[in-house]
Amino acid sequence: MDRATVERVARAAHIKLTEDELERYSNDLNDILTYFELLDEAPECEESGVNPVEVADVLRDDEPRMCIDPDVLLKDMDTYERYIRGPRLS
Amino acid sequence: MSMEGILSRLKETNSKYSMFHAMTEDTDLGDAGFLFSAKDNLTSADMETCAGSKILIGYRPAFDATSISKMREAGGKLIGKCNMDEFGFGTFSYNSGLEIPRNPYDLERACGGSSGGSACAAAVFDSHVSLGVSTGGSICCPASFCGVYGIAPTYGRVSRYGLIDYGNSLDKIGVISADAKDLRKYTHVIAGKDPKDPTSCVQPDFKDTGKKMRSVAVPREGVEGLSKEVETAFKESLESLKSMGLDVEYVEMPSLKYAMPAYYVLATSEASTNLARYVGMRYGQQEGDHSLKFDDYFSYFRSQYFGDEAKRRILLGTYTRMAGFRDRYYAKALKVRQVVIKDYKRVLESHDAVLAPTMPFTAPRFDDISKMSALDSYKADYLTVPANLAGTPHMSVPCGYDKDGMPIGMQFVADHWNEEVLFDIAERWERSFKARRPEVVS
Repeated sequence: MDRATVERVARAAHIKLTEDELERYSNDLNDILTYFELLDEAPECEESGVNPVEVADVLRDDEPRMCIDPDVLLKDMDTYERYIRGPRLS
Repeated sequence: MSMEGILSRLKETNSKYSMFHAMTEDTDLGDAGFLFSAKDNLTSADMETCAGSKILIGYRPAFDATSISKMREAGGKLIGKCNMDEFGFGTFSYNSGLEIPRNPYDLERACGGSSGGSACAAAVFDSHVSLGVSTGGSICCPASFCGVYGIAPTYGRVSRYGLIDYGNSLDKIGVISADAKDLRKYTHVIAGKDPKDPTSCVQPDFKDTGKKMRSVAVPREGVEGLSKEVETAFKESLESLKSMGLDVEYVEMPSLKYAMPAYYVLATSEASTNLARYVGMRYGQQEGDHSLKFDDYFSYFRSQYFGDEAKRRILLGTYTRMAGFRDRYYAKALKVRQVVIKDYKRVLESHDAVLAPTMPFTAPRFDDISKMSALDSYKADYLTVPANLAGTPHMSVPCGYDKDGMPIGMQFVADHWNEEVLFDIAERWERSFKARRPEVVS
């Protein structure tokens, strides 16, 4: 993975890298991806489930209920008049 | 001893070993029947929960993880939250943004990871049980390095509600203790269906069936690359198992060599999406400059507070999911996981467990760990990763000591939902193998 690709990936992941980090991660990720080439020769089968054991959709009754008191959730958040404060969108 | 006395002793011991990031300040022991601790990626309403990350400093969850609430309902008192690799990203509990736990047998060595603080607490405190979490070996590795018993049950056996996710298809909550009998007792406490985690709702009933372990298969691929002392201790343990009446047979499991890359592709892919939620809002650190545009605001927090290994895994996982690479890495890894599962099922048709050493070496020194490359560190997991990828229950038991007195462990892997044979062999092994306890520094 070259530096330009690392920069592109980091941008997508919302991480700003220093020059030193760019250099280091570029080298590390190249080593790791070279190791991942082992997968190219790995046998495969038709199944490719997302989980290691079979899972099924489990639905609960659709009844309104209080899960957690919103005031309890808000107590450790940065809020303004019960709204969560965040950065501007544009 | 009063709770004040217990807390005073805990603080003193923690100052030497750093097993806990947070400790209870509640001096009311009430009618608690036992004390327990939990890895710090399990949410607890009464203690800060950071998962080893600076980005979560200050996070006080509003609810308990299901596993913690079940331990409390069973009469347990949560005394501390255990140090760990940041979000579980490591083999030595060394990749932490907070405190690094120290091995009970040598303070200059690692406890193993990522449930290092949990294994340390289980080794140091008498009659103590700790909850750990395993994604790629994070229960068995530290159990091995700290000379205690540790079990990661079948994927889905224990509700993951309240677990700070690393890899959703891989994470398993389990039990670590110096007493083998605790594995059966407390796995039964925390297991069970929980509507808050649908993956826990398909499990078969979890009953004591009295099923015994009678045979083990040793994969030739699992005895390669071992240190001499681990190899010797393991061979001696095989002889002990034979003398206990177990059949021991060497087998081939060719898929195991592909488990490592498949695991790291899936784990980092899932981690990179799970960690997208940490942007300086809602959890932990939130003191950002709100005049910034959201892109810059999010990037500031993530760049400032994620540690080195967290950034590395986010980059890796983001890359392997990107358009053009997804089929080569992520989709292929899902298929390889099924191949590994089939390989286990094939061997477990005629054997009760697959057995190999837990780790290829004993706990390394911190100065040696600091010289390891990221890939070297990943490769150290080659014995614990396959069972985690397959979601099969697995357990480490102490089986020897090297010339410096550092513990060695071996790992049994059973078929899905078949924890019973692991409990059986753990309890029989405990009667046969004389495990040591560390000399506690005070």
